[in-house]
Amino acid sequence: MTRAGAVVAAAAFAVLCLLPAGLAPGDVRTMTSVLLFATLASAWNIIGGFAGYASFGNVAFFGLGGYSVAVLMTKASWPFLPSVAVAAVLSAAFAALVGLPVLRLRGHYFAIATLGVAEGLREVVVNLPRLTGGGAGITIPTLGARATTHYPGTTGFYWYALAVLVAAVAVSAAVSGSRFGYGLRAIQLDEAAAASVGVRTTAAKLAAFALSAALTALAGGVFAFQQVTIYPERLFSVEITVLMVVMAVLGGAATVSGPVVGAFTLRLLDEYLRRHFLGTHLIVFGAIIVAAVVFLPQGVVRCSADAWRERRLGLLDTVRAYRL
Amino acid sequence: MAEFLQAAVNGLLQGGILALVGLGFSLVWGVTNIVNIAHGAFVVAGAYVGWELHDSLGLNPLLGMLVAAAVLFVVGYGLQRGLVNLVVNAPVWMTLLLTFGLQLLAVNVFVKVATSDYRSIPTGWAARSLALGDVRVPYGRLVALGVAVVCTAGLVVFVERTRTGRAIRAAGMDRSTARLMGIDVRHVYAVTFGLSAALAGAAGVLVGMVGTFSPPDAARYTLFSFVVSVLGGLGNMGGALAGGLLLGLVQAFVGQYLATTLVNAAAFAVLIAVLAVRPSGLLGRPFYETRVEAR
Amino acid sequence: MGRRGTTMLAGVLGLTAVACGGGGSAGAKSKDGGGKTLTLAAALSLTGTQAREGVLTREGYEICQQVVNGKGGLKVGDTTYTLAITYQDDTSTPDTAANLVDQFNDKGRKFLLGPYGSASTSAAAAVVERNGQVMVDSAGADDTIFTKGYRRTFAVLSPASVYLSSIVKALAELADPKPKTVAIVSADDGFSKTAAAAGRDEAGRQGMTVADLQYVPNGTTDVSAALTRIRGGKPDVVLGSVHLAEGIAIVKQSGELGLRPSAFGETVAPPTPDFVTTLGAAAEGVLGSSQWTTETEGSDAWFGTAKDYAAAFRARYGRDPEYHNAEASAACLALVEAIGKAGVLDADKVRDALAALDQASFFGPLRFDPTGKNATKPMAVVQIQSGKAVTVWPKSAGTAALRWPAR
Repeated sequence: MTRAGAVVAAAAFAVLCLLPAGLAPGDVRTMTSVLLFATLASAWNIIGGFAGYASFGNVAFFGLGGYSVAVLMTKASWPFLPSVAVAAVLSAAFAALVGLPVLRLRGHYFAIATLGVAEGLREVVVNLPRLTGGGAGITIPTLGARATTHYPGTTGFYWYALAVLVAAVAVSAAVSGSRFGYGLRAIQLDEAAAASVGVRTTAAKLAAFALSAALTALAGGVFAFQQVTIYPERLFSVEITVLMVVMAVLGGAATVSGPVVGAFTLRLLDEYLRRHFLGTHLIVFGAIIVAAVVFLPQGVVRCSADAWRERRLGLLDTVRAYRL
Repeated sequence: MAEFLQAAVNGLLQGGILALVGLGFSLVWGVTNIVNIAHGAFVVAGAYVGWELHDSLGLNPLLGMLVAAAVLFVVGYGLQRGLVNLVVNAPVWMTLLLTFGLQLLAVNVFVKVATSDYRSIPTGWAARSLALGDVRVPYGRLVALGVAVVCTAGLVVFVERTRTGRAIRAAGMDRSTARLMGIDVRHVYAVTFGLSAALAGAAGVLVGMVGTFSPPDAARYTLFSFVVSVLGGLGNMGGALAGGLLLGLVQAFVGQYLATTLVNAAAFAVLIAVLAVRPSGLLGRPFYETRVEAR
Repeated sequence: MGRRGTTMLAGVLGLTAVACGGGGSAGAKSKDGGGKTLTLAAALSLTGTQAREGVLTREGYEICQQVVNGKGGLKVGDTTYTLAITYQDDTSTPDTAANLVDQFNDKGRKFLLGPYGSASTSAAAAVVERNGQVMVDSAGADDTIFTKGYRRTFAVLSPASVYLSSIVKALAELADPKPKTVAIVSADDGFSKTAAAAGRDEAGRQGMTVADLQYVPNGTTDVSAALTRIRGGKPDVVLGSVHLAEGIAIVKQSGELGLRPSAFGETVAPPTPDFVTTLGAAAEGVLGSSQWTTETEGSDAWFGTAKDYAAAFRARYGRDPEYHNAEASAACLALVEAIGKAGVLDADKVRDALAALDQASFFGPLRFDPTGKNATKPMAVVQIQSGKAVTVWPKSAGTAALRWPAR
């Protein structure tokens, strides 16, 4: 990260620290969801952006993280923080395990295999009602003697989400500038060539996948505790995967700031549309995704950088490059 | 024994519908390398066309199916030509996102225009069944399987014997060379997309005839299309049919002998197993194994 | 990343202001024509998988608002208020519903009407409890919502455990010859499983043998595997603890598979008009449980009887109300009554008034047990006869005779 980048990051962090004081609790809750999505997008970016393996099943780790926290807090009466730490480790281990076969696939095949893993995991959760509550959901005790951890309230969860995002951005920045990160970029460009110049591709891919899974699980754990009652349909919803991909890509895949910018922009836009276009906002949102894919495929961050450098807005350049 | 045979019949008949749902998806993926998440929306759109024709004109759904296919062909051709073509050369996730956006848009327009009520195209005969001892074969689903087989055979003949079909194959194998041979690849891609949408539309009418549909079902049909295509091998028409039947059978037997709630889990388990062991599809060589990726 | 980072940061902060601030202005207390307005709030599934039911719920709330204002508004203490209801879309996801409850609280909305469905209601109830708001639940029936110790959520509808057991009771009381064996097909969500378990227990109490209980994935349109499994037992009655999609599939595919019991009985699906239009003749004779029918006994000062309610609804929407409409109107009615009885716009006082509420209504008795469930209200059992859902149980003046065997 450049010095200017560090300054901007610090400024953004300072603003985010001051934000809860200036917002109503309901808006703090909205911002908590923005921060969680920024974490998810940053986590996806490690495997999908840097390594170029477009995972369409990252929600599996979100759900696994959420359910690990819920089950540990409910059935084993663990406090929140150790539960969420174990959830991250569990998800990373699970990612490494499924990564062994799945990361041998490329392109669409990888995307679909990961999608299958997420859907399959949801079915497993639904079919283990003794452990997970099945389709009826599971409720983390937050009242009375069975509550293991004081419920932190709206602002408390904002701090948890911010902490998780800071971790995700720090990891992204560290990966981006490291030898490991350059190895991942090499894999994205040409995996065979990367291997031939000494990148241990299998190990690097597994590490990226596990790292992505651990960060995703942290967000899932915070989300689960915040929700109190969680259901498999929501925790393993394909829509969440798609949102993290959209956010990372439209912000700028394989950059550190891109996924965060994308998540803030899209999540807040979504919230605005939902409030002001009652009943039609998903139509508008769908149209915006279509338009953004056509006009901003490089992401907001790169596109605005190019516009700044060349003093012109090249919205149609990418269309020229990608069309038939 | 009767239960085993009944489960096998259920599986094959359900598989016929799944095969037709996935056939067009596999074709587009194989030829243009685009995974069309909006495919399920085409299925639902076809179901609405068939339903509307039956509801307002009393048209037999089997005739409605032809109209739905024609309408969806035009829609598919136009969408490819005007929109999807813009990102054909973009990375994988771009096309996935574009078609996801289209799906979101389409499903919510359906909800707005047609509400999310469950609908079905009522036919007296479709719910009756042929009794073979203890085993029942419902006519509606039998017809659906027949349509799936005919469509698959028709598509194979079209792709292998006609000029346009050969152009589709050529464009799917090596786009630049196809261009050098004077093939209008843009037109060919759009025809492929149109065909795919037409098949989805026909499948939609059948779905509406033997069961119910509503806009949020679109996502499920896209998901099944994935599984069918991967099982069969991309762009392999016969493979898509076999993949559909296999998926239907797996779901039926798991439902019969394990647990009825595990049918979807089983579908994904098979998918992952096949991808891990034989990524090119379960059934022989993929059609476009020799593809040269054009830039 | 320097300069572009700065622009980006500015842009994102601007968006934050627009997205979060925008809602604030819309929340300003509307005062038109000098009269005072009391605004209730509801998070509803206006888009997403439950959009259909969300819209029905909204219609129920709207007709309640119209009736209350048509009678001159609501008198609270010495002030008369015009009733208003503000809606937000929860996109059929529980976390959004919970978030909206917080946002309502920010704008001082203490009196809430429930969202659609057990999952969203459960999520909303947790937040209502923390914020000290009050919610009347119109469509969250799963009994587990009421086992969590919440004191500020009250449900006008009968809980999930009554849905299937009412059908069993009706059959035991009315069917002759009495069915001996039943098989149950249940969706695997919480609400359906609770209802299925209660139905199974009731069947045992009534001396029937439960031959089989099969679960199917929630929302599936293919139940052939479950039906093939129960077909061997030749049950007298097939019961479905399901929603509309699975309910239609059970009847349709039973016909295809040659499963011919004396009757089908299903929760949720049969009273819905889509059930008859979709199945046509195959729907004949199917039994269903309903929260409300036009034969429901009782009346109140706002809506009159169930028949008066149906007339008012028809006048506005041009079609007959479904029970989803009625339960929404009843939730609104309970809240309005409690606010009137409390005599002051104070959430705690209104909560106490709701807890003490005991009155008849077009929807049946409105009285809550200590957990917030409507413990006394019976459910009606309907049967599709000549393409119409007619009430057959509990027996009273207006009900039709049960057709038996039903098919």
